[in-house]
Amino acid sequence: MMKLGPSSYRDRTQEFLSVVERLKKSVASANNAPSSSGSSNSSRAVTKPEDRKFAVAIQSEFNKRASKIGYGIHQTSQKLAKLAKLAKRTSVFDDPTFEIQELTAVIKQDITALNSAVVDLQLLCNSQNESGNISSDTTSHSTTVVDNLKNRLMGTTKEFKEVLTMRTENLKVHENRRQLFSSNASKESTNPFVRQRPLATRLDGGASTASPPPWANGSASSSRLFPSKQADGESLPLLQQQQGQQQQQMVPLQDSYMHSRAEALHNVESTIHELGNIFTQLATMVSQQGEIAIRIDENMDDTLANVEGAQSQLVSKHINENRVHSDSDSYNLDCAYKQSKLMIWHTTIVTA
Amino acid sequence: MKITALLVLKCNPDGSDPVVLATAMDVSHFGYFQRSSVKEFILFVARTVGKRTPPGQRQSVQHEEYKVHSYNRNGLCVMGFMDDHYPVRSSFSLLNQVLDEYQKNFGESWRTAQADNMQPWPYLNEALNKYQDPAEADKLLKIQRELDETKIILHKTIDSVLARGEKLDSLVEKSSDLSAASQMFYKQAKKTNQCCTIL
Repeated sequence: MMKLGPSSYRDRTQEFLSVVERLKKSVASANNAPSSSGSSNSSRAVTKPEDRKFAVAIQSEFNKRASKIGYGIHQTSQKLAKLAKLAKRTSVFDDPTFEIQELTAVIKQDITALNSAVVDLQLLCNSQNESGNISSDTTSHSTTVVDNLKNRLMGTTKEFKEVLTMRTENLKVHENRRQLFSSNASKESTNPFVRQRPLATRLDGGASTASPPPWANGSASSSRLFPSKQADGESLPLLQQQQGQQQQQMVPLQDSYMHSRAEALHNVESTIHELGNIFTQLATMVSQQGEIAIRIDENMDDTLANVEGAQSQLVSKHINENRVHSDSDSYNLDCAYKQSKLMIWHTTIVTA
Repeated sequence: MKITALLVLKCNPDGSDPVVLATAMDVSHFGYFQRSSVKEFILFVARTVGKRTPPGQRQSVQHEEYKVHSYNRNGLCVMGFMDDHYPVRSSFSLLNQVLDEYQKNFGESWRTAQADNMQPWPYLNEALNKYQDPAEADKLLKIQRELDETKIILHKTIDSVLARGEKLDSLVEKSSDLSAASQMFYKQAKKTNQCCTIL
């Protein structure tokens, strides 16, 4: 796996060039003897180093670009990590929106630039592979490098998208919380929200100083009193002036008349809903029990049939026995016969 | 939960003292000698609060142990003196009703009234008596109360249905046992019958 950065590959260009020089010399000396092949050889030998130099130049160009792109991706992912931290850290009141937006724009630009750079690199790699007479190792190396860079860029873009979605979700959550706080300030009678009430009711100067203590004392949920904002502010000092002896105190006004009515209606609606549920459950239970009752009925019918059959058997046997057997047996049969008749009578009563 | 007084006033937008149009007071719980002073006092407080209530606004003022609720609609102001336990929403719906009733009965004649009108208005007295129970005035409250009662009844019903289910279960057990026993009886009778045919 190729590492990023300018020093991720070993630059053996110099070695290669020295080898080429050496070979040139050796080939040149070998070419002196055969003259027919000498020129072609020498030309080939000359072209070969040139080709090789050209190939080397192209390869180093490729490497330079690849390394630049890799470095750019690394920097972008660092910026993205910073953005993610900022987005996570954001709270209801202290939102670094401006910074986040700046950073988002910068990252977007970087990603688009890197994208185009990778595309260029890929084109270069393809052209290289088609044209030059370079080894298969080099081609596979360059294609691998390009693929690697593309994958990294895709990963960075995905992370960027995730961070953006997380930020929008956070913003939504904050909006909801803000609405909760501002509209339900009256329902909360606990201390943390006393601070928010001056914001929600917006009383002016004179009355606002008098308002916090009465709020803390006043019964929060049962006394839903009505605001008339300026009227309170004026009437309180005036009344106090006029009726100095009488103690008048403006009970804090938290919710409007309409709010309380709306809430009452909501309650009624939810109660009716619950009642519907209860009725449904009741119906289910009764239908199940009806099934059980049917089963009982069938059992009793079976019993009746069995006992009647037994009784008919006993009757025939009784008739037989009366002709043949002793009294004790016939007495037993008699009892059994009477009991079975009684059973039948009871069973018919029950099933009817 | 008590209403002590209901008043209808005409409030002038220029801030002068309102003109009393109708009153209904229940001062029976005060001593005999205090009643007239209490009535005066109520009138006075009503005038003051009425002066301070801007048109189209509802307002509640806490005064000693009473709450005074006032609703000013286009210069016609209705006020109620209720105790602390009376639900505020019901009081305002009651005030609305009284206002509508007054406008139905007297039309616009009140606009020209200049002096306090002390003639009793029977509707107001009836209203005072009838609406001592806040549920009467506020339909929402009444509905909520009835729904809660219904819910309690339904809970009891479900409990009894569960008990019925248990009894039915035991009955089905017994009846299946009975049918098994009767089957045994039948087989037994058939068996004893068979041995006699030979004889």
